This record gives sequence, C-alpha cells and structure tokens, in this order.
Amino acid sequence: MRTLRGWLLRALGHFSRSRNDLDFAAELDSHLAMQVEENLRAGMTPDEARRQARLKLGGMAAAMERQRDQGGLLLLDEVGRDLRLALRSLRRNPGYTVAAVMTLALGIGANVATFSVVHAVLLRPLPFPDPDRLVQLFATSASGDTHEVVSHPDFTDWSRAGSFEQLGAFAGSSLTVSGAGAAELVSGLRVSASLFPTLGATAARGRLFTAEDEKPGALPVAILSDGFWKRQYGGTPDAIGRVVRVEDVAFTIVGVLPAGFRAPVGRPVQMYLPLQVDPDRGHGFLRVIGRLRRGVGLAGARAELGLITERLASTYPRTNASVGAHLVPLAEAMAQDVRPGLLLLAGVVLLVLLIACANVAGLMLARGSVRRRELAVRAALGAGRGRLVRQLLVESLVLSLGGGLAALVIGSWTAAGVAAMLAADLRAIPRLETTHTDAWVLAFTLVLSVVTGLVSGAAPAFAAASARGSEALREGQRSGTGSHAPRLRRGLVVAETALALVLLAGGGVLLKALLTLQATPPGFRAGKMLAADLWLPQPRLARLADRARYYEEALARLRALPGVRSAAFVADLPLNGGSDGLGFHITGRPDPAPDQPFQASFNLATAGYFHTMGIPTVAGREFGDRDRAGTPAVVVVNETAARRFWPGRSPLGERIELPLEIRQPEQHEHGSGATTTTLITLTVVGVTADVRQATLALPPRPELFLSAMQAELPWPWTVLVARTARDPETLSGAVRDALLAADPNVPVVRVSTVESILSRSTAEPRVWAVLVGAFAGLALLLAAVGLYGLIAFSVSQRAHEIGVRVALGAARTTIVGMVLKEGLGLSLLGTATGLAGATAATRLLARLAAGVEAHDPWTLSAVTALLLAVGLAASYPPARRAARVDPATTLRGD
Amino acid sequence: MPKADVWQGTLALMILRTLQTLGPMHGYGIARRIEQTSGHELSLNYGTLYPALLKLEQEGYVASAWGASENNRRARFYRLTRAGRGQVEREAREWERATGIVARFLAPGESR
Repeated sequence: MRTLRGWLLRALGHFSRSRNDLDFAAELDSHLAMQVEENLRAGMTPDEARRQARLKLGGMAAAMERQRDQGGLLLLDEVGRDLRLALRSLRRNPGYTVAAVMTLALGIGANVATFSVVHAVLLRPLPFPDPDRLVQLFATSASGDTHEVVSHPDFTDWSRAGSFEQLGAFAGSSLTVSGAGAAELVSGLRVSASLFPTLGATAARGRLFTAEDEKPGALPVAILSDGFWKRQYGGTPDAIGRVVRVEDVAFTIVGVLPAGFRAPVGRPVQMYLPLQVDPDRGHGFLRVIGRLRRGVGLAGARAELGLITERLASTYPRTNASVGAHLVPLAEAMAQDVRPGLLLLAGVVLLVLLIACANVAGLMLARGSVRRRELAVRAALGAGRGRLVRQLLVESLVLSLGGGLAALVIGSWTAAGVAAMLAADLRAIPRLETTHTDAWVLAFTLVLSVVTGLVSGAAPAFAAASARGSEALREGQRSGTGSHAPRLRRGLVVAETALALVLLAGGGVLLKALLTLQATPPGFRAGKMLAADLWLPQPRLARLADRARYYEEALARLRALPGVRSAAFVADLPLNGGSDGLGFHITGRPDPAPDQPFQASFNLATAGYFHTMGIPTVAGREFGDRDRAGTPAVVVVNETAARRFWPGRSPLGERIELPLEIRQPEQHEHGSGATTTTLITLTVVGVTADVRQATLALPPRPELFLSAMQAELPWPWTVLVARTARDPETLSGAVRDALLAADPNVPVVRVSTVESILSRSTAEPRVWAVLVGAFAGLALLLAAVGLYGLIAFSVSQRAHEIGVRVALGAARTTIVGMVLKEGLGLSLLGTATGLAGATAATRLLARLAAGVEAHDPWTLSAVTALLLAVGLAASYPPARRAARVDPATTLRGD
Repeated sequence: MPKADVWQGTLALMILRTLQTLGPMHGYGIARRIEQTSGHELSLNYGTLYPALLKLEQEGYVASAWGASENNRRARFYRLTRAGRGQVEREAREWERATGIVARFLAPGESR
C-alpha cells in the first residue's frame, strides 16, 4: 500500500498545497541538527547525541507518514482505505460480486464490441497524411441523388477550384489479367495521375503515374498493389518493367505501392491503370477525391464548387442543367452505407448497458438494505454522510472496473465476431478489417466503466447513506420497509422492462421483415442449381459472333457433363446484382411523352434459360435454338411488362423498337470507340412469370429479355446457370473446368449454388436482425434477472409476513399467486411504460430498413406477451420458495 | 513519577500560546519551550508536533517561512496569524470552561 501511494504521489504530482516531502525532510533535518547540538552541549558523545535526537523525534518515518496524512494526500489515502474496505466487502459476498461484475461485463462488453467496429469504420483517422483535409466530391442529380458519379470533363473543371490543393479521380473496374494459365479477374482501379499525390501516397518501388500516362497513345502502364506483386511476382524487384496482359492489351508494370496502402474503396484493389479520358460530359463514371487547402473549410469549398457547377450548368445546359456538387469528408463518404446501421447498433448496446446499470443498481440497493445496520454503525461511529457515499461509490467503481476488464475480453471477441459477420454478409465495408483492440478502445472501456460505476452506484449510495441511522439501528436486520430503497428498486425494474420492450420491439420488427422476405417466393426454383459468374473480356468477345461461338462451345461442354440436366446463359441473374434499364418504343403507338420512350429493365438470355430456372412460360414460347443471328429478332416479356405495356390484351406478335447505342470495339486501350445508334425491331414471342429481380423486398418490375444470340449488347457480364441432377456443390469443380476448357481467356469469377445467392440476397436484413435480436435477447435476459432478483429479495424480506399468513391458514397457492402478482404487476407497468418507446423504435427502423412496417401491432403484442411471460417465469422460482416458507422457522425469529 | 502525555486537543493550544508569547519560532524551539513551560512534566513526542503545526497552518492559524536560527542554521519559522490570535483566545476560554466544569466535580463537600 505504501509503495503504491508513493508511486501515486509521484504520478499525481503535488497533492499537498504548501509543502512537499523534500521540504518537510529538510525541516526535520534542521530539527535534528538543533537537538544534536544541544545534546552535545549537554556532554553526550556525537553518536549518543544523534541516537537520542532520533529517539526523541519518535521515528522519522512515522513522523513523515503522519505529516503526509495531514497534507493533501489525505483524500488519496482515504480512497485507498475505501478501496481496501470495498475489496474486503466484495470478497465476503462472492455471489453478489460475480452477478454484478458479469452483468456489467455483458453491458460494457456489448458497447466495447460496437465501439471497436465503429471506431475502425467511422472514427479512426484515414491512413493518409493529413486525413482531415480529404473530401469526396459527388455529383448531384435532378432526381435528388446526392452521391452520383462525375464525368471526366466535369472533374477537369472542378479541379480548377482554388479551395483544393488537388483533386484525384478514379473508377473501379474488374480487369481480366491473362498470360500464363487461366485468365484471372482482378479488382482494378483506373486512376487519374493526380489521385496518388492527392491521397499523399508514394510508390514503394518504381514510380507513380504522370500526366503523360493519361494521354491518348501513351504506352499502357500499370501499378500493382503490394499484395498482388507478392502473390503474382513473388515480390521480386525486377517485376518493374515486365509486361502483363490486361483485357488482351500489353501493359508495362512501372510501380508497386507500399504494403500499407489501401485505396479508399471497400474491396482491396490489386491493380491500378491510368484513367482513360472520356470527353462525354454526360457520362458520369468517376469518383472524385479532393485535398482541401490548409485553412479552407468544407463550407468554403462547397460554396466555390456551387459557383463552378452553376457556371457549367449554364454553359452546358444539355448535360449539366441539373448537375450540382456534393462535398463530404472522405472518412464519412467511405462509410456512408454502413453508418446508419452501425449507429443504430451503438444505440441498441447503449440501451443494453442502461439495463445492466439498472440491474446492478438494483442489486446494490438490495445489498444496501441488508447493510443498513453496518452503515448505521459506521455513521454512529462518526463516519460522515459524504464518507459513506464515497465508500459505496468506490465499491460500485470496483465492480464496474472489474466488469470493464471482463468486458474487454468479451468485447474483443464479440467485435471480431461482428466484424466477421458484417464482412461475410454485406457489401464490402471500407476499413472493417482494421477492427481491433487499440489504445482508443482501451480508453473507451476505461471511461465507460467509470461512468457506468458512477451511474449505477449513485442512486444506491445516496439512498443507503441517507437512511437515518438511529432508525436503522432500531429496526435491526429485518429492515427494508419504510426506506425509499425498495420503491427505487421497483422503479429500476420497471425501467429495465420498458427498455427491454423497446429493444425487443426493434428486434421483433426486423426479424419479422426478414421472415417475410425469406418467405417471399423468388419466382424461380433455387434448389439443385449452380451459377457461375463470368466476365467476357471486351476486345476479344465484344462482337456478337464471337460471343455466340463462346456460348455454344461452353453450353455444349456443360450439357455433356454427367449430372447437368440443362444449362443456359443470362446476363443478369435474379438477386445477383443489378439490372439495366433501357428506353424503347412500341410500334404503332406514340411514346408516353415526346423524347421520353417507354422504360423497362432489359436482360439477355440463351435458349432454355426459363426452363432451366424453373420460371413458367405463361404464353407463347421462350427462346429456342432457332433464335440466332439472321432469324427475326424476338423478345420475351415478363407478366408485369405485359400488363404494363399491353394492358387487357396479349402482347404476343406485338413489335417494339429498341435504339441501341453501340460503341464500336476499341482498337486500343486508350482509343475511344465511335458510337453508332441503330434501331432494331423485335417481335414479342412469349410471356414468362415474374421473378424478383433486384431484391426480394421489391415487387417485380417490367422486364424484357432479348436473345443473347441475337442482340448486339456488348455487356461483359454474364452468368451461366446449370440445373443439376444431384447436389450442385459436387459439380462446381467440373463446371468451372468445362467453362475454362471452352475458353481459358474468359475468367470464372465465382461459382456458387443458386441457393447461396438467394440466401446472400437476404444477408443485410439478416445481419441487422441477428445483431439487434441478439442484443435484445441479452436485454431480455438482464431484465429477467433484475426482476428475479427483486422478487427473490422481496420474498426473503417478507418471509416473516408470509410465515404469519401461512400460520393464519393462507393456502400455498394463495402465497404463490401473491408473489406472481407482484412480478406480473411490475412487468405490466414496465411494458406500459415502454410502449411509447417501442412504437418510436419501430417507426425509426421502418425508415432505416426495407420491409419494416411502421405500425406493427402484431409484433408489438407478440414481444409484449413474450416479456410478460418471461416476467412470470422469473417470478416463479421465488414464488415457489415463498410457498415453502415454514411458519415455525420464520416466526421463531422473533 | 512518569511524565504525563500531552492530552488530545491541547497540543494545538500549547503551540498557539507559545507562539503568542515567544513570537516567530521554529519547531524545535516550540517543542523545547512547551517542555520548559510544563516544568518538564510533559513528554512531548516531537513526531506529533509537526503534523499539528501543518494542520494549524492549513487551518490558517499559523504561517511559516524558512529563516536562520540563532546559530545561523536554516530552520522553518512559524508565526501566529491574525486568525491564530483569535483562536488562542477562543481555545483558552474553552479550556477554562472545561477545566472549570471538571473542577466543580472535583471540588469537595458540595453535595446536596
């Protein structure tokens, strides 16, 4: 204890106001010297004189000690005494201590876990120099979207804004890298030469891009990520200067980025290519990042960009009339998708912690009532009220710090679990993988533990200390009645129940939305099917004839595989990503408005696609082998399209005209191909049943299918679907091999079962429902424990009264009913209190998550019933105990 | 005959009173003076003297500063503050009252 205090003294600096230890030592020295002098004068030997002087001073160390007690260290010393007292008292009550520490550990741990993720994704500074000055710039559109991509000419004009040191632009693209062996699809980024300097990145080897690299006709060059360099080139320095084939074009590797560099996008980027200049001002495809000049704020930069976009709008009204600019700090822009979800989670765990606090406060109040005698004795012996409050607060702090320590362990595990879950099921979240327990998380845990200790300890401490001593002494052990502690405890349990209801309602509506979603028929049969995502390399397979040859070759090989029943290609598989909207005309009918054709989703499929997917053909026929280049162009529409565009009659035989803007295959990586528009006429030959295309939550949209063998739509993405006779997993290797055998230059991005695609499509609602649901479950558990504790305590306090009742002939069932009624009454009060909060929570979630109903009385009733049932269950064991009270024992106590 | 210990609460009064009569004095001097004044009947534990001095200083009844002793030795000198002078009067009155009460109990033959 003494060394600890010495250490604290040094650590905390001067506690005493007027003196420090050194000063006091000097004073004692001078005192000794005078005494020694006098002793010498009295005729003692020098040794004897010194010895006597020391003796007379009563021990230097003891004097110093007392001196310090008198000084500023008094408080610290007393806190130390409180600490010892608290530890002793907690050691004597292991059950209470473990219960309180565990409760706090769960409450704080949930917060530590969430903070770890929030800190990594939202709060931690970006790993770039001066990250506070980095912003992302978006285009805004007339439709109110504020996060649109930017066209290259706009980017160039924005770059002139004086608020920025520099702007950099990039566009994500999947790159087919070929050469040795099978082609591989890697994630790439086409970046402006200014992007790396804007971010403050430097090359680890070689060089970065220069403005020269962007010019048409420049030698194609590439920069590799550290990971790709190590994986593909074994990290050899002579990778610089080597040639890599990307989309069938030879690129020279000129640089490698440092190991720690991460582009500010969700997925890790493996290869960087120079940005291609696209002079079309109407074609937005760029993400823009800017570095603000020192001293320039967001508002100033926004104002300047506003002026620039206004000028562009008046100069280029055709493309820019409604294009504005939106400026967001980069860290915030990177996390925009996951931000509401994470903040929601933070709110949820905060409520859980409140419940835990209420629980522990309840425990402490209960203990306070039992300890009233002890406290009264201490008060009678002269301990002031402040002294008692401090002692109880120190006890509560010891508990919460213990809980915080355990929470650190629980929290870091949970954080890893939550991060893994988010990473596995959601779209790529930037920086999620940086989740770990760092100094900030430690500091957060410490601060939260202290605050928790004060919050949960305050009410019980004051309640216990304010109980009048003499009264407590008179009442003796069987106290508790007459003080306001029990009423406070009841209030806490009611509050806990109310909070638990709020969380349960939130978890309930999310779960219901998820179940509704999962019960929604997708419109196709997902069982026993494989899907392979492919990427058709552009120059090689840009022409229809080459693509058709590839389709036929691949399908022939697949159909020959034992176990494959049927196979087909489709551009956009349902629930596997987006779909493309195009405008079209209906022959013999005016457009809905001038310059505004009919709009629908368009898709490409080969013969037998609908049959393979198990999508019924409602009228006419689906694609067959006869639909190929040279035969009349056909179109298959879904039921929604048939109803929308040909209401009340059959669309079969109707014609549509589709204007197709076809960019001629680019001869060179940097050459921008010429664009020709042709109007092709197609005849409707079939109507197929609706499927959920975009997500299960959205009703089907009008969708028109063109034959992949006929349509000149050079989309590089395509999916092969195969219906299998047995477990599809067992065939995935064979399917991949067959596809690569058909053309090794077409990379197979991913082979998965259609079941897993279906399940992936509900991943996001599932993640949030599971997380909120799990924490709501924890809240329910804590509230139940709180109620149980209160009822059990109340029964033990009333043992005497119950004994009298039994002695007077009350039936056991009456006693059980009496106790259960008390528990149920508190639960009812709690749910009634929480109802308003629960309704508000439901409404909030309805705004945040798809498929959640704002008013959902059924779910609300269900969770209320659940809460009441759990309340009853929690009250039952104490009720049983009450019924077993033996009047002979309890009454003998008097 | 064994020497008496200093009674609880009286040390402060003795210190204050000593400073009132002697003027500024260092701790050693105060201790010696208390022993002398008591006719060497009191055994003063010097270890308790300094905490008492510090407490008085914190209460504002005495003030202290480093100075030179009669033998030109560095020593901390204590002196009475204005509040301290008031406190001497108060404590002295209290003490007289208390001893008066005790004296009445000890006075012989005043039974009813």
